[in-house]
Amino acid sequence: MSFSIDEWFVVLLARTIRDREVVFHGFGSPCAQVAMHVARRTFARDMLLIEGATYAVNPEPPFIPPTGNDLSLQQGARYRMRFEEFFDAAARGDVDRMFLSGGQIDAYGNTNVTAIGPLDRPKVKLGGGGGGCNLAATVRHLTLWTTRHRSGRTLVERCDFITDMGHRTPEGSRAELGFTGGGPEWLVTELGVFDYDADGHARLRRIFPDVSLDTVRAATGFELRVAGDLRPVDPPSSAELAAVRTIDPLGVRRAEFSPEELGRTFVHGTHAACSC
Amino acid sequence: MPFHLDPDKLVDLERAAGFVTDGAMVALGGGLSARLPMALVRELIRQGRRGLHVVGSAHGIDVDLLVAAGAVAVCEESYVGFEQDLGLAPAYRRAAQEGTVEIRESCCATILAQLRAAEFGLPFMPVRGVKGSDIRRLHPEYREITCPFTGETLVAVPPLRPDVALIHAPLGDRHGNLHLDQPYVLDERFAAAARNVVATVERVVSTEEVVRAGVTIPAHLVSAVAEVPYGAHPTSCYPAYAYDRPHLVEYTRAAAAGGTELARYLDRYVTGAPTEEAYRKAVGEDRLAKLTTWSASTAAWKELFA
Repeated sequence: MSFSIDEWFVVLLARTIRDREVVFHGFGSPCAQVAMHVARRTFARDMLLIEGATYAVNPEPPFIPPTGNDLSLQQGARYRMRFEEFFDAAARGDVDRMFLSGGQIDAYGNTNVTAIGPLDRPKVKLGGGGGGCNLAATVRHLTLWTTRHRSGRTLVERCDFITDMGHRTPEGSRAELGFTGGGPEWLVTELGVFDYDADGHARLRRIFPDVSLDTVRAATGFELRVAGDLRPVDPPSSAELAAVRTIDPLGVRRAEFSPEELGRTFVHGTHAACSC
Repeated sequence: MPFHLDPDKLVDLERAAGFVTDGAMVALGGGLSARLPMALVRELIRQGRRGLHVVGSAHGIDVDLLVAAGAVAVCEESYVGFEQDLGLAPAYRRAAQEGTVEIRESCCATILAQLRAAEFGLPFMPVRGVKGSDIRRLHPEYREITCPFTGETLVAVPPLRPDVALIHAPLGDRHGNLHLDQPYVLDERFAAAARNVVATVERVVSTEEVVRAGVTIPAHLVSAVAEVPYGAHPTSCYPAYAYDRPHLVEYTRAAAAGGTELARYLDRYVTGAPTEEAYRKAVGEDRLAKLTTWSASTAAWKELFA
């Protein structure tokens, strides 16, 4: 069975979820959105899945649409939270995991979705952070992701603007600021998977089999710390791949990748050992 | 904010938009590409409104079009864009980069807290987040306070009282009772915190019919209501219609090009289409009818997004 980078990537994102977690994604995040449904349909049957812009609880969408606020994402939900119901739960500390991305991500997991360049005259005005600024403070675990690691512009030494806080900013650490959430736990990129060390600094733990450590180093704007047990990422199972394809027949997840990346395809047994 | 007790609030779109004055703080209902008050947005542009301070959570073509038409001075949303699908908001991005609008980007939860302060009639609400984020640099009005019970340092945010909230609903009656479908986003909170609520509805129906469907926003919070079919187009208003993706592609291309292409879009669909009837004609009745076919089958629904 062959598969492509977008499918494998989404499966790796899904695997950052644990069963019986309460999980939320931001809008404009098709990879995270697909990943949550893959997890719920495979190994995390009892998670509480909260859709990112409709606040639908455990829906069974017939397909993922190109916008985060569409009725298809509410189909089959027994309950739809109100906007304030969700944000109140997150503020109390009752949401276990949130997915966040950014135009820039620094070594401590701070993310920038506001502006590249100086704030008064930005080079690029990005869309904005939605609810991330407050959610990042109180949600228990954050899974960060980017599909633009290779560009060399995404994992940066310093974010031009910190929209959502990671483990440490110039204002201080999470503990010093009194935040109740634990901060970034994982960072998944199209080159590999990072966790965070005791300093709250990103550390490469897994690498895609068609990517070299030099490639990762060249693309990473901050000091590349590598775990002693660096290994290739685990391949997707056939059940996980089937879930990706069933949930996202329109391939909305692919919008997050450059055309060059989408050419990366794999076959079980060659690049990737079978874990079916 | 004050209750509005007029027995009959049914007006035409022109008068409804007249509740918004130059320089007003305007809250925009709906979110992303769903239930945005687009007929009101277009009418504000036709009437030449200037200097608006727009507030909201996650928005798209509503804010971008107002910015493109030069109607906006301040943007205070948590997000303006077209998600992964069509990308950054072209006019908003350009105006921000050229410094022609003031960007006071905010966060959904902070806006919610500020609306609640207005609803409670209190001078502030505390939030635990925000610290550590540069969002605070955009909001010098935020202050740090010490909790008198725990000693924790929190961020105090002031009330947000929009002059007018613009809301589009599938159903309403002439008294102003509105039925909305989920997600309500911030519409209920805007309705309670704003001085005036101006609504467009797909259909004006009897009070009994709104009550049967469920009153989401009651008449006493509403100042005016106008009947405008396809009043959220090109965004969705389920159960009537899905969003018009090809039209959003057309808009974002024109807005990204700017200049004559943007002027041509505005002339064709907004300023040169003097009424919403003319707008619907410019879009095409066939195109609009197609957006209602989402409910026929999953295949038909998916086809709208292909």
